[in-house]
Amino acid sequence: MLDALIQGLLLVLQWNAFSLMLVGMALGFVVGLLPGIGGAATLALMLPFVFKMTPVEAFAFLLGMHSVAATTGDITSILFGVPGEGLSAATVVDGHPMAKQGEAARALGAALMSSLVGALIGAAALAVSIPIVRPLVLTFGSPELFMITLMGIACITSLSGLGTRAQIKGFAMGFLGLLLATIGQERQSGILRFDFGLIYLWEGLDLIPVLVGIFAIPEIIDLAVRGTSIAGNAPAKLGAGVWQGVKDTFRHFWLVVRCSAVGVFVGILPGAGGGVAQWMAYAHAVQSAKDAKDRSRFGAGDVRGVLGPGAANNSKEGGDLIPTIAFGVPGSGAMAILLGAFLIMGLHPGPDMLTKHLAVTYSMVWTLVIANVITVVVCLATLKYLALVTRVRGSLILPLLLLLVFVGSYTANKQIADLLVTLAAGALGYLMVRYGWPRAPLVLGFVLGKLAETYLFISMARYGYGWLAQPLVIVLIVLTLLVVAYPYFQERRTRAA
Amino acid sequence: MRLSGAALFSLGLAAAAAYAVYAALAWPPKAALFPLTMGIPLLALAAVQTVIELRDPAQPGESAADRRRVLAVFAWMAAFIALVLLVGFPVAVPVFVFSFLMLQSRAGWGMSLALTAAAWGFFYLVFVRLLHFPFEAGLITLGG
Repeated sequence: MLDALIQGLLLVLQWNAFSLMLVGMALGFVVGLLPGIGGAATLALMLPFVFKMTPVEAFAFLLGMHSVAATTGDITSILFGVPGEGLSAATVVDGHPMAKQGEAARALGAALMSSLVGALIGAAALAVSIPIVRPLVLTFGSPELFMITLMGIACITSLSGLGTRAQIKGFAMGFLGLLLATIGQERQSGILRFDFGLIYLWEGLDLIPVLVGIFAIPEIIDLAVRGTSIAGNAPAKLGAGVWQGVKDTFRHFWLVVRCSAVGVFVGILPGAGGGVAQWMAYAHAVQSAKDAKDRSRFGAGDVRGVLGPGAANNSKEGGDLIPTIAFGVPGSGAMAILLGAFLIMGLHPGPDMLTKHLAVTYSMVWTLVIANVITVVVCLATLKYLALVTRVRGSLILPLLLLLVFVGSYTANKQIADLLVTLAAGALGYLMVRYGWPRAPLVLGFVLGKLAETYLFISMARYGYGWLAQPLVIVLIVLTLLVVAYPYFQERRTRAA
Repeated sequence: MRLSGAALFSLGLAAAAAYAVYAALAWPPKAALFPLTMGIPLLALAAVQTVIELRDPAQPGESAADRRRVLAVFAWMAAFIALVLLVGFPVAVPVFVFSFLMLQSRAGWGMSLALTAAAWGFFYLVFVRLLHFPFEAGLITLGG
């Protein structure tokens, strides 16, 4: 185990992987600062570029980018009250009032430093959990893995905080994603399914055009519709006190540690995602106030309201990776896209990642650590200039983003038809956002579809319907039903209160 | 009764699921198992959602200006694909970026030229020089 840990570090420090991580981080930097283009959309945009990379290089590139986007997202949240990332919304509540009171630099210092502490705790949790999770995962066979796929979709739908009414939409999208994955030639019987007489569809829909279309195009359209400069017209004053913010992190160190733990825990729960982690950490920070008077400071610019979400924002990355790597059940849209990267690299999440490819898994832990340390140091040194990026007019970067979308989709397979699929997936993604259908379950279903079909096929071939009666499968069915029922209990409790 | 956009979307989804189930019924059991296992619940859920949307048609409207902007972006994307088909990526990239900046973003000559040069430079450097990516020629440039 220790060998693999050291080997993982050496893999990340190799010249190619390290330089690609820096490129990914530079991209994540800009993306995190640009409100409207989320980390998930950027991951989708960059997926086509990992084809020629080794798994370690690809994950250094993608994870470097993703973890940086989560950190820099806090900067626009604090300066402009506009979350740079969907994930960094909770930082707005106290961070922006601090900025308005001329304490932007202190808030930024606190957010960055707590993010670093959170990231380190998240990475440590990931490293420590691997030996614990390994024996559990190795006992799972095809029936259990099929149920885990369904449970993943149930989690991403039920625990996303969208409520009971949104569950129908969430599950429908999960099933649609699984169904879309069946397009093309069926591997066991050779039957062509949903090919509409097009040779292009024999191989099935490619991951990249679908993911890029569904995630990136709606964000680009949103940017076009808003039609303003990226940060709107909010004033940006930094003030002094970055080091004060850094010191605040250590003054409230146990709060930061506890909120990091909240982030890791929420990250491990598949489906809860980063937004939930931040708000739960914020709630914990408020809860830990001494009395009502102390509590009333939250929302008006209390640094603890920045420290909590800041820590959870980055610690949840490590937590989020645990179910993604160990079970192939991603906790969020971004992780679902990262799962796509696993498949592109020819890696299957699950037992293999904890045995054969253990060094690759540990290289991810190290990427999280190194990327976050570099980000925080660079951010602290260049804060003043970073804020300027958000003043760029949105309409000027639109054609460049569109270019990235289509060139990226094309380079995956060199097929013009992929461009049409991207456009169609973009239209579908736009309509889903417009009518309130969640995109993450669809992506998860689509990414896991082929694996899930293989699991179901093997289960049926080996056990008939008897696989449904296996003890672990029954446990997973019960857990899935509990996850499905959870929003109903939650609503009843809220109503009763 | 007028169908709202949301109801139409749900109905479209139900229709797609119904087609998937219908098509799968004609396949041998091995090939049909998974599409049926996923298609039938999708059909049921989409049908329920359609009923919900029909009963509660109150939807936040999209302003005419917003709709125009959305359609404009889709039109630009379609135009870019058509351009790639006709002249290939290396020519389509600068033409698209420049026209978009001039006509849609109203960026002015200087800014449009500078950004186009930057975008094309990046594209050329990364994909053509560095990766030697074999972009297909367009229908027009093919004969030339």
